[in-house]
Amino acid sequence: MNLENFELIYKENRVKIKDKAKIKSKLGEIVGNENVSDKEIDILAYNKDTTLITLNWTLEGKIAALPDFIVWPETPEQISSILRLANEEKIPVIPFSEGSGVVGGAIPIYGGIILDMKKFNKILEINDKDLTVTCEAGINGMNLERYLNAKGYTGGHIPQSLYTSSVGGWIAHRAAGQFSSKYGKIEDIVMGMELVLPQGDIIKFKTIARASTGPQLDKLFIGNEGTLGIVTKATLKIWPYPEKRALISYAFPTFEDSLEATRQILRQQIYPAVIRIYDADETNRHFGHIEKAKDKVMVVFVCEGIERLVDLEETITRETCEKNNGIYCGEAPVEHWFETRFKVTETSSTPTFKIVADTIEIGFLWDKAADMYHSVIEATKKIQGVMMMTAHVSHFYPNGVGFYFTFAGIPPKEKTDFEFYQEVWNCVVKTVLDMGGTISHHHGIGLNRAQWMPVEWGKSFDTLKSIKKLLDPNNILNPGKVYESAWKEGGRN
Amino acid sequence: MSDILDKYKWMGPIIQKMDRDIKRIFMKNFRMRDKNFFPEGDYKADVKNLVNCMLCPNMCRFDCGTLQAANSETMSPAYKARIGYYLTIGKIDPLDPSNKEFIDLMYKCSNEESCKVWCPFEFSVVSLLETVRDDLNDKGVMPDYCKEQIKKLKKTNTIEDHNIYETYKEKGIENIETDGKDDVYYYIGCESMKFPEVVKANIEILKKAGVKFSTNLEKKVCCGGPAFNIRDLKIAKELANKNKELIENTGAKVVVSDCPGCIETLSTRYQKAGIEIDVKFIHIVQYIKDLIDNGKINFEREIPSEYKKVAIHDPCLLARNLNDTESIRAILNKVPGIEIIEPIYNKQYTHCCGWSGTVHWAEKNIAIKEATNRINELKETGASVFISACPECELGLAYGISENDKEKIKIIDVSELLMKVI
Ligand SMILES: Cc1cc2nc3c(=O)[nH]c(=O)nc-3n(C[C@H](O)[C@H](O)[C@H](O)COP(=O)(O)OP(=O)(O)OC[C@H]3O[C@@H](n4cnc5c(N)ncnc54)[C@H](O)[C@@H]3O)c2cc1C
Ligand code: SF4
Ligand code: SF4
Repeated sequence: MNLENFELIYKENRVKIKDKAKIKSKLGEIVGNENVSDKEIDILAYNKDTTLITLNWTLEGKIAALPDFIVWPETPEQISSILRLANEEKIPVIPFSEGSGVVGGAIPIYGGIILDMKKFNKILEINDKDLTVTCEAGINGMNLERYLNAKGYTGGHIPQSLYTSSVGGWIAHRAAGQFSSKYGKIEDIVMGMELVLPQGDIIKFKTIARASTGPQLDKLFIGNEGTLGIVTKATLKIWPYPEKRALISYAFPTFEDSLEATRQILRQQIYPAVIRIYDADETNRHFGHIEKAKDKVMVVFVCEGIERLVDLEETITRETCEKNNGIYCGEAPVEHWFETRFKVTETSSTPTFKIVADTIEIGFLWDKAADMYHSVIEATKKIQGVMMMTAHVSHFYPNGVGFYFTFAGIPPKEKTDFEFYQEVWNCVVKTVLDMGGTISHHHGIGLNRAQWMPVEWGKSFDTLKSIKKLLDPNNILNPGKVYESAWKEGGRN
Repeated sequence: MSDILDKYKWMGPIIQKMDRDIKRIFMKNFRMRDKNFFPEGDYKADVKNLVNCMLCPNMCRFDCGTLQAANSETMSPAYKARIGYYLTIGKIDPLDPSNKEFIDLMYKCSNEESCKVWCPFEFSVVSLLETVRDDLNDKGVMPDYCKEQIKKLKKTNTIEDHNIYETYKEKGIENIETDGKDDVYYYIGCESMKFPEVVKANIEILKKAGVKFSTNLEKKVCCGGPAFNIRDLKIAKELANKNKELIENTGAKVVVSDCPGCIETLSTRYQKAGIEIDVKFIHIVQYIKDLIDNGKINFEREIPSEYKKVAIHDPCLLARNLNDTESIRAILNKVPGIEIIEPIYNKQYTHCCGWSGTVHWAEKNIAIKEATNRINELKETGASVFISACPECELGLAYGISENDKEKIKIIDVSELLMKVI
């Protein structure tokens, strides 16, 4: 057995399956033997998602966790039967789509059955009049978007992980795309859903523009992180492919100026699809070649839609930036952003220098946004080993913003990678919570943030936990995430 | 080292600001990077890029033919690279027979290199896996299905049980021996011999245009493409040398082939293996396009009604390696009355038929599923005639047609369509 050569991080508290052969054969009866595997080559492939510290583990030959089985269902009925079997046998089931989650949501920490949703990959219908697309939930985001583009539409949900994430994963994590100021976040985009509940019931939320039919239960499942139900199908909003795009960029002397300009733009109900503010460090990193932006704060905007509207949005955006000391930098920085936005290379290099890095995206109201940014930067820079703590502001609302911090560092001698990682996270989260922000804007809670849920939610967390208990009394569906704190590195936490 | 320094120039101020102890650890990590993760060893594998790939969030996954066919993480590009890395550094022992499946994964690529289109490092996974295959071969663990191909190449000079070129007479293909003074050598691929109508059409077209050419089927051998894929460079070079002699004997300055794989091998792969042949290698569609442009071929007949509406399947090697997506279109656009419908994934974004690499030996079902996926994309156009320019595609795609569709769908080469109108 090869996998003994690898250090397994989550090896305690694994589910004990008495008769693996029996379970495998029962799973085979449900999905067909070709759609079940317990082969080493397959279970190793599903040991983790894209949580950044797990990349360091991968390079060092460590395995985050090992599932016992992988199943590839093709229908909601099969999922239902798998969940009924799992409830009878008390085996965890972990939904898995494209594995781009960055909070450990799809890591099978107690073993069990990985339920890969990739075969739910069909686009079922585009309705031009209603402006909707209905698709199966496992479809890859880029394959959906390319299809829509070819038919003259856009889905408007373009996360940086578009190439490597799925509709089901977006819904599971309440994801947010880069064009979200115009098109909304995933919760604004989902119009209808089909799900399988933890005990196997299949439920549907009908596609409707709005309803007043009691509490909107569907919202409970947007952000459920594969713990309350498995999304099998979704109807999403779509839009005619934009007629025009205006690319605008400004460099601001201070971070405050940039925040003020963007706040005023939104206050006038102008919604550029993309707005991104890069602090001075990130400006130097990403736009080092733009002379006018050196040591300043770069802001890029994309306005898109019908030409007359775009022209107006562009005029007001530019006027507002100029009023707030912005220096016009033209289209080139935005073109550069378009060219590089999916070119992810850092994840490949940092682990080879034994750098511990992560991204932390958090949400704040406008009132304290600038203070919060400075507080996080100051607090974390005091931690020994932090080489870099920078931020961009990636999501905007008339009332607040989403910040995206990136840190990288080297643990001092007396600390493990994990201890260092945890220290930085604790520091950011404490600062954010003390100042009244939220600990996640769009990556979700998963495994590594669950530890702060009681503070984030306060008393209402008990209500959430009761709902989990009601829907999943045996704690079968994605245990160890969201509601309980199980984050660790092999006995060293 | 200098390229790394350049790339991380922006880190300069950050490093300067580091406290002393941390800077010391960082510099040590920097110095020890190779030793820690790219240890020196007796291997040919491109470990640095295997690591780049295995730590990437699989940014090309949506377009990878084998992954989209298998729908399994196991087939994802980054995972293939990861296993390649572990096999190289010995974390997974290639000599342990229980690891056969890990070795097999190194061959489960269809070589269409869609990954390269999106890759921030601008490599394809298969180009990395080939370096792992080199080591596997050196260790004597080449999989049986590869050995099988090499055996055939040695025995018959083609990847068939018999020398497929010998079948030309029974297939009614005319052989034109060279007199050493050809303008063009029509280089017929092994797989093309399975499609005699295509070969006959090409011969007919060249004749009609008055080209002085030969086919030399009596001496013809495989270009060696499969041996290059398997990385048996010894047999690949033997075949290359035979081809060099054959080509040079024709006196032709232009070699045209009906198979994009042959052109790629004869030109780029031979060159990399140090074998230079001083002629121009082009796919026959490009040559025919020029013949049409120069008025050497005229359209004389109405297109039969069942061929009026066609969809183009760009062969991946022609579109992405030989960078030619225009010739097919230029030819078809000249055909009076034809309606060309483009599939969503076309030109440089074309999808694979499943048959171009080694996956069809390593796990045939995956290749068949790739073919099925592609057929479905082509069917979405509403056309039932699919035009290609590669015998591998025609072979592969045929596996993707369901029993129900067998009667309805026709996959034909550009040359076959041309024969209906010139
Ligand atoms: C380079 C990179 C860039 C990113 N950029 C963004 C960004 O711009 N915006 C953003 O919001 N996120 C971003 N992310 C995070 C990530 O892509 C999202 O969280 C994404 O929504 C996860 O989708 P997935 O299909 O990969 O899910 P997975 O990682 O497979 O799973 C994530 C979670 O969802 C559950 N799950 C998966 N499928 C289903 C289903 N069908 N039903 C129920 N539960 C399910 C899993 O159990 C798990 O808990 C980025 C990640 C990377 C690596
Ligand atoms: S080939 Fe390139 S894009 Fe694809 S997984 Fe590897 S590094 Fe990433
Ligand atoms: S060569 Fe093809 S099959 Fe192989 S990884 Fe690239 S896209 Fe996938």
